[in-house]
Amino acid sequence: METFTEELLNRMNIRTVFEIPILGGIPVTESVVLSWGIMAFLVLGSIILVRNLKIIPGKKQLALEIAVGGIWDFFEGLMGERGRRYIPYMATVALFIGTSNLVGLVGLFPPTKDLNVTAGLAVMSIVLIEFAGIAQKGPKRWLKSFAEPMPIIAPINVMEIFIRPLSLCMRLFGNILGGFVVMEMVKIAAPLLVPIPLSFYFDIFDGLIQTYVFVLLTSLFIKEAIED
Amino acid sequence: MTTLIAIGAGIAVLTGLGAGIGIGIATSRATEAIARQPEAEGKISKNLLLGCALAEATAIYGFVVAIMIIMFLK
Repeated sequence: METFTEELLNRMNIRTVFEIPILGGIPVTESVVLSWGIMAFLVLGSIILVRNLKIIPGKKQLALEIAVGGIWDFFEGLMGERGRRYIPYMATVALFIGTSNLVGLVGLFPPTKDLNVTAGLAVMSIVLIEFAGIAQKGPKRWLKSFAEPMPIIAPINVMEIFIRPLSLCMRLFGNILGGFVVMEMVKIAAPLLVPIPLSFYFDIFDGLIQTYVFVLLTSLFIKEAIED
Repeated sequence: MTTLIAIGAGIAVLTGLGAGIGIGIATSRATEAIARQPEAEGKISKNLLLGCALAEATAIYGFVVAIMIIMFLK
């Protein structure tokens, strides 16, 4: 039992890979390196896939157009006409979180199991939400919108600015970490064949659902911020 | 001390009760709604997923608190 616990804690730990030797050493953790790797993968993939686009599409381009069109329609249905300018960001976040959650399949760990990664994503989301509100309504009407529908619930509306990113961040982190812990336990206890069906649920299904939920909630909040 | 930590973590995870009941009710109503109006399935399942995500958050908070209790109180 002792070795089991130690092994589990060891696998849950997020190690420091190296330190940037300025300002007294900035530690760079595994999750940061993994995020960079995923970003590089996505950027490279995007560059390779959009080379030589033609007016009459080939097979590859047709599949790509269907995928991009599907994502575009999904977000436009959520955010409406006015939210169109935020679609590229939302699609990028969806791709990043989706890839991060699925990366456990190839033997790495999902960087979203690090609280700092999800906290960063959630802070970016809330900044975008409030920015969308200010850009759409103007600063004055944005401030006024805190007092809607009645002035007495203004404190709750202000609190929401902090609660929304907290819950976005904790939801993604908790789900991924939970799935990860269960998977690691199973892998230690029964490494042969047993993890395969569980991996379908915890790695693929849960990861994709959480991606969906994250971008769905963010775009619903944006929609709420930009509508009158 | 270890026993107390274990009990505390167990109590924190009990938040899952509420989320389970809530998601169960939501799903049963959603199935009824789809049975009544199969053409509205897309909209219903979108709202169901949203509601489940929000209801599930409480369970996740409990889980995170339990993990923190175990990790930091040792």
